[in-house]
Amino acid sequence: MTGTAAARIDNAALFAVLASLADNKQAMGRRYAYWANGAPALEAAVAAAAMTQDEIGHARTLYPLLEDFAQAATDPRQVAPETRTLRYHLAFLDREFAGWSDFVATNFLLDGALTTFFEAAQHSAYEPLRQRARKIVQEEQVHRAHAEGWVRRLARAGGAVRQALVSSLQRLWEETLCWFGPDDDPVMGQLYRDGFIDAPPAELRSRYLQHVIPLLEGLAIEMPARFDPESKRWLPKQALPWERWEADSRRLRPASYQAPGQALAGGEDQP
Amino acid sequence: MKSMSSDPQAPAGAGAEAGLGTDRPRREALNERRVWHVYARRKYDEPLHEIGNVVADDVELARVYARSIYDEFSWIEMVLVPRDCIVTVIAP
Repeated sequence: MTGTAAARIDNAALFAVLASLADNKQAMGRRYAYWANGAPALEAAVAAAAMTQDEIGHARTLYPLLEDFAQAATDPRQVAPETRTLRYHLAFLDREFAGWSDFVATNFLLDGALTTFFEAAQHSAYEPLRQRARKIVQEEQVHRAHAEGWVRRLARAGGAVRQALVSSLQRLWEETLCWFGPDDDPVMGQLYRDGFIDAPPAELRSRYLQHVIPLLEGLAIEMPARFDPESKRWLPKQALPWERWEADSRRLRPASYQAPGQALAGGEDQP
Repeated sequence: MKSMSSDPQAPAGAGAEAGLGTDRPRREALNERRVWHVYARRKYDEPLHEIGNVVADDVELARVYARSIYDEFSWIEMVLVPRDCIVTVIAP
């Protein structure tokens, strides 16, 4: 699709989510690449290289879609990864992975969350997303096997290895759950109402928890989620930190973030 | 790019370090032992033949490794056989 001015789609919500998906895939690929020869075993390193290619490939099929939107007209630089200055990936990906457990947690939690979205878009009313979603979901089956296999291995290794995995999962947990947006998120809500995805954000989050919690429970890794017997759905156990949610970039401000002027105002909770 | 590290949590060059609460180095804690022979074929009219092996204790990881390492052809079939299941009839 070339996206002539006359044929451009005017849908800010879809544009925003596509940009977030592309940026997260691109950022994951860049982080994965760093571990393509740093994994704990040769086989894992080769798999990391293959997954790097997949993630960057997914990003490269998503960025060109942005050109077809009226929203791209305001700043054409933002539709290509080479010129894009906005980075709408999770804050967790701002920094290098601290260890292999960050790689595993990102693959298991974040990539799994994005796959939950693509699964919900396999019958999308927006054909380019529908086509890409089906292919990505297919390719992600291997990533999921890699993620689950490594979560099992690190968890069963015990000691510091297991501790590192749990720490990585905990650091990524809330931001990943937030990526779907608040239950009344106008962006994901509009995608659902327009038929671009088949579920609203709360349902996506619940589907996602259904994917990840059984494995973690089986490994006795406790994450803050609970099963609601009435709705038969998994839900976050505690309120998510929406006060740090940045709706435009679909990410959380780091907990230590200080709004401009806050320090000068002498916030009480500063040490 | 990182060089191959022996410690799954450490940056390149940090080497193995003792895990908390255990005497085993982390690399040893993760060391995999199970060898899988990888067989594949490219055409329906040719038999499966051995193309290599992978080491993984987890069968799902073995699948992922075989798929990503031996991706030089568009195989129509690929199977894994655990080495410890092979019955020797005539030893070399």
